[in-house]
Amino acid sequence: MPRGTFQQELDRLVEEVVELGREVESCLGTMVEALETHDVGIARRVFGVDDSYKERGAQIAEECLILQARQAPVARDLRLIYTVQAVQNHLVRAGTLCEHICQAVAESGDAERDPDLEAALLEMCRGACNLFRQGLDIFEARDIDRARDLEAADDKVDLLYSEAMSLAVNPGKDSSSGSPEWRVWAALTVHYLERIADHGVSIGERTVFLVTGERMESAMRLYRDQQLDHYDD
Amino acid sequence: MESEKTKEESKPFEDPEKKPDARQRSVEPQPAYRGEPAASAMVAERLSAYYGAFKALADINISIQQNKITALIGPSGCGKSTFVRCLNRMHEVTPGGRIEGKLLLYGEDVCGRDVDPVQVRRKVGMVFQKPNPFPTMSIYDNVIAGLKLGGRRKSSELSEVVERTLRQAALWDEVKDKLKESGMALSGGQQQRLCIARTLAVEPEVVLMDEPASALDPVSTQKIEDAMEELKERYTVVIVTHNMQQAARISDYTGFFYIENMGDPGRLWEFDETSKIFSSPNRKETEDYVTGRFG
Repeated sequence: MPRGTFQQELDRLVEEVVELGREVESCLGTMVEALETHDVGIARRVFGVDDSYKERGAQIAEECLILQARQAPVARDLRLIYTVQAVQNHLVRAGTLCEHICQAVAESGDAERDPDLEAALLEMCRGACNLFRQGLDIFEARDIDRARDLEAADDKVDLLYSEAMSLAVNPGKDSSSGSPEWRVWAALTVHYLERIADHGVSIGERTVFLVTGERMESAMRLYRDQQLDHYDD
Repeated sequence: MESEKTKEESKPFEDPEKKPDARQRSVEPQPAYRGEPAASAMVAERLSAYYGAFKALADINISIQQNKITALIGPSGCGKSTFVRCLNRMHEVTPGGRIEGKLLLYGEDVCGRDVDPVQVRRKVGMVFQKPNPFPTMSIYDNVIAGLKLGGRRKSSELSEVVERTLRQAALWDEVKDKLKESGMALSGGQQQRLCIARTLAVEPEVVLMDEPASALDPVSTQKIEDAMEELKERYTVVIVTHNMQQAARISDYTGFFYIENMGDPGRLWEFDETSKIFSSPNRKETEDYVTGRFG
């Protein structure tokens, strides 16, 4: 097939992104474990991933740039490279949030906790990690039929977010409401988890664009209209 | 964008059997242009072209939009050049060349028996792949060669035409001090722009370009492309190109010609806005072609 080398480079690019995604996913698994067990040792395993993910993300972005410069991709190739760049960004950011949460676990140590808030937080944590995995699965399989399910799952996470935040800012009067420090950590964690879920949803949405080209046309039209406006000036 | 010409009033070919509603029946591109409403300059309806018994093109339906650049792309031998040669009735010059179907220029039949092909070619000019200035003529005379065939004109008027068309072809600054020198003394890229100026001098409605930059270096190519951007202010441009990026850069609409099986006639496989063709075309063959996966 013509452009065999280019195709191989594109395939390798996708493999690299999926590999990075699976590693982030595995880190999220460690994070869930750390949150469930309050085990500082487990949380510490995630320390340092942020830097390495950022480096790999930058490397993938650079490869995308080189392919664009050398191969002048259009149509599905262009959509793929654009999507890979966007997806690596979502992955790296999810990895960063994962490390932040593990740092929170390590720093909150054996602080006094609010069991209701912790239960909501853990449920949200599992939901967010599921969403992230689903987004990655959809990207890997290009299975856009499943992308529709993401919205509903995200609504559920958003609901848990409101619930957890409400618990975080309205502590009960009794002694089981947890220490103020822990509440702050919990609120931050809830916020980070919501972001992780959003990254999963975005990866799924990017895949829809990759497969169908939806949004591209409107973007191109916007570009053209801007040009026309520019000429009018 | 308003055309400077009033197309409604132009009646290039008086045909006694002309149907007044010809323009209303014109085929719109799919999907219709979504920016400002544009009118069709040329419309082909079920156009087929033959070389003797061989059918080279089948059932082409296309609407070429006024003051836009339409790029025609596709693998070699799929009928792109044949199609543009139909548009100004040059196809019939080839031995055995004939067409079927309908071809309209602003609603007027181009192929009617009473229509003079020379008149069509004045309205629909053409620039060829290889620059072909008249070798014995100066730059100045090359530009006005077509005008001179149409009768005498005042020299001040001719000078005006020379400057205007050379400017439109983005060549004026390079040749204004040597208009009396031979056209052959110019570089290939300059010669091609000279040929564009020559085509423009007769005030065509439509300018056809058959791979106008394929024999040129990147800088000359860029100058031709810049010129084309200017041209569409006044003219309707149709360009055949094998350069995907060129089509993507300069055209508003793109038509992909394709032959499904060996020996079949070429067909217009997909026709749409260029942004659509190069971002998410509707047909797999188009995408395979523009991404270079063809074959």
